[in-house]
Formats: sequence, structure tokens, C-alpha cells
Amino acid sequence: MTDNNPLTDAEIMLKVAGYDSKALEQLYDRYSPILYTLIKKIVTEKESAEEILSDVFVIVWRQIDQFDFKTNNVYTWLVTLSRNKAIDVLNRKVGKLMPDYDDDYEKEHIVPKLSPEIQALELKEVMNKKEKLEKALNGLTDAQKYVLDLSYYGGMDLTEIAGKMNIPAGTVKSKLQVAFGNLMQKVSEAN
Amino acid sequence: MEKKKILDLIKLEVLRCLNDKDKANLESIKAEGNDFPWKELGDYQNLSALLPISLELKYPASDMKDKTAMKLYNIRELIKAKIDAKKALEAPEPPVEEISFPVENIQEVETAEQIEVEEKVLVEVEEGVQYSSNESMNNKDDSYRFVGKFKGKSEVENPFRKAVEIETKEPPKAVVDKELVEKIARDYIKSHLERELETLRSTINKNKILSFILFVVSLLLIIALFFIK
Repeated sequence: MTDNNPLTDAEIMLKVAGYDSKALEQLYDRYSPILYTLIKKIVTEKESAEEILSDVFVIVWRQIDQFDFKTNNVYTWLVTLSRNKAIDVLNRKVGKLMPDYDDDYEKEHIVPKLSPEIQALELKEVMNKKEKLEKALNGLTDAQKYVLDLSYYGGMDLTEIAGKMNIPAGTVKSKLQVAFGNLMQKVSEAN
Repeated sequence: MEKKKILDLIKLEVLRCLNDKDKANLESIKAEGNDFPWKELGDYQNLSALLPISLELKYPASDMKDKTAMKLYNIRELIKAKIDAKKALEAPEPPVEEISFPVENIQEVETAEQIEVEEKVLVEVEEGVQYSSNESMNNKDDSYRFVGKFKGKSEVENPFRKAVEIETKEPPKAVVDKELVEKIARDYIKSHLERELETLRSTINKNKILSFILFVVSLLLIIALFFIK
């Protein structure tokens, strides 16, 4: 997943904020594989994943004023937005009771609210961490990996995971907290 | 609340697994603003976003870019409205005299401008028909090309881009609105008449071929008659 565009993610994003359609195309070229991979993992169906991917870029175009140019974390903003959108579609598809999808809902639940002190990440540097992350994930127990998977890719809440695993919600909660904490520790160690 | 408990809530929030009670609790801690671990929240948000890189990469179909461009094209009115709203917020309050300007006059001016724009657009469409009947089908309508690809449409032709450029140059407001209205009307008419124009062009081509065939047949009949005599 390499591209020859010399512009940084933040530079492209700045152009997108000026409604430069070529910049949005560059962002699409750079990010569509990783975002599509994530979305496909969540919704599994190819057509649905492609539809969500294009919706994500429409949301970027529409909600670009919600992006924080002080922290400039393009990678995490796009990945989180894609995950939120895919899980939202998944939840609606399985018939979960959800509020109407309108602009306010999108701003509140789909567009990410990143920490004002978040460290900026760019796709290029993130892809270099693949091996370290895989190593860190392999360091988790099977149960930890499973709850993390159900939560992150399955979009399930504590009660749903508890029902699926037939264990109390409190246990799921602590398993998730320990798993995510361990992962953070291992990724930090790997750095 | 001690930091460890806040961090535990942060982990669940990042994974979107907080129940309503804990969510409200965390929001109130954020609102208090006393030593909230914003950096740690950012670290966990970044960690969460890292997870997909462990997956095997998959690629969307190549025509998805076109479909995305089409969706973007369809929301151009909405984007224009956003830019206008932003511009209106930034613009200073109009003087009181302008507010008390008779409504009838405004409507007259608007109607006159509208007629002028519509006339221009109709002339352009007519010219477009003449032009396109002499040209190949592939290289005439820019708005069609924009729908086809992000890059198929130059930035100048991009309605969003055009709106932003106009905003940057800061010309008188009446000129800005007129140009935008012209552009939008032109795009609208082109996109709606495109199919009819294509039908018209193909009918003309068919008629040409038919005329040619009839001419050849007539010629052959005349020659045949000549030899028969």
C-alpha cells in the first residue's frame, strides 16, 4: 500500500477543507484500502462495505469542519469514523433500535471526537507498526482476543458480548479493560 | 475518582462499550476538567485505530471511486449552502437602510436577473446542441465528466471549488450569486437534458446513414434502368 504522493495526510486534509476535490481523491487513493479492509471485516458483505466506504468519503467532505486541525490526526479520525459508520449500518441492519440518521446524529455518533491532546498519526508511519501490533496481539490470551474482536469488529456492547459468551456483563467489562490495557502495554514496550 | 478508574472508563469508551450510566459519569468527569487524562484518552484512541492494520489488506472495486464521485456531485447543493451559511456568519450585519428596502424592488431585481440567467442558459444549451451534433460523443460535456471521475473534472469546473474561489476573491455579492446561479442552472439543465441530447445526436447520425443508403440505392436503380434501356 504505497503511494507516490509527496503530500502528508495533514496537507491533503487542509486542501479537502477548501473543498478541493482532487485532494479528496488523493485521500481516497491513500486510505481506501485500509478503511475498506476494516469496514469489510465489520459488515462482511462486499457490496455493503463498498457502499459504506463511499459514504465515509461523503461524510469527510460534508463534515470536514469537524476535523481538528490543531491535533491533525488524520489516520485515527478516518479509521474511527469508518468504524463508527460501519457499526451503525450493522446495528440498523440487525434491527437494533436506533435514532433517525440525520446531520445531528452523524455529528454526535459517527464523526469522531478525538482527544485535544492526541498525538498525530499518519498512515505511512502506522503501516510500519504492523509487525509490532501483531506481536502485541499474539501476546493476549484467546479469551482477551475474542472479547476485543466482538467489541471492536462486532460492534457489540457489554450485554451482547455477555449473552454471546454466557458470562456476566461485569466479567466482560473487566476482560475488555484488561485486554485493552495489556495491548497498550505491549505496544508501548514494542516501541 | 482515581485515575485508574477513569482509565478503565476511557478504554470502554474508546471501544464504544460504555453503558449509559458510565458514559454520563465519564462526561461529567470530562466537564469538571480537573486533571482529566486527555493524553491517555488520545493514546487509547490511537491504539484502537491501529487494530485494523493487523488485518490482511483488501481493496475496493475500482469503480467505487466513480460511485463516490457521483455521491459527492449529488450533494453539491448542500455543500454550497454550507459555504453560504459560513459566509453569512462571517459577513458583517447589513446597515438598517438596506433592511428597510422595499420588498417589491428586490423581487423585481431578482426576477430580472433570473430571466437574464435563464436566457443565457437556454442560448448555451442551444449552442451546445449545434456544437455537439458536429462533435464525437466523447468529448463535450464537462459536468458529465465530473460525475464520471474526481479528476475528470478540472477544479475550475468543480461547483464546490468554484464556490470557494469566488469566496476568496470577494467580488460584490450580487455578482457572486449570479455566477453561482448561472453555474448551478447550467449544470442542472446539462445533467437533465444530457440523455435527450444524446438521443437527438444518435437520431441525426441514423438519418445521415439512412439518407446515404437511399442515395446509393437510387443511384443503382438509375444505372440499372440505363442498362435495361
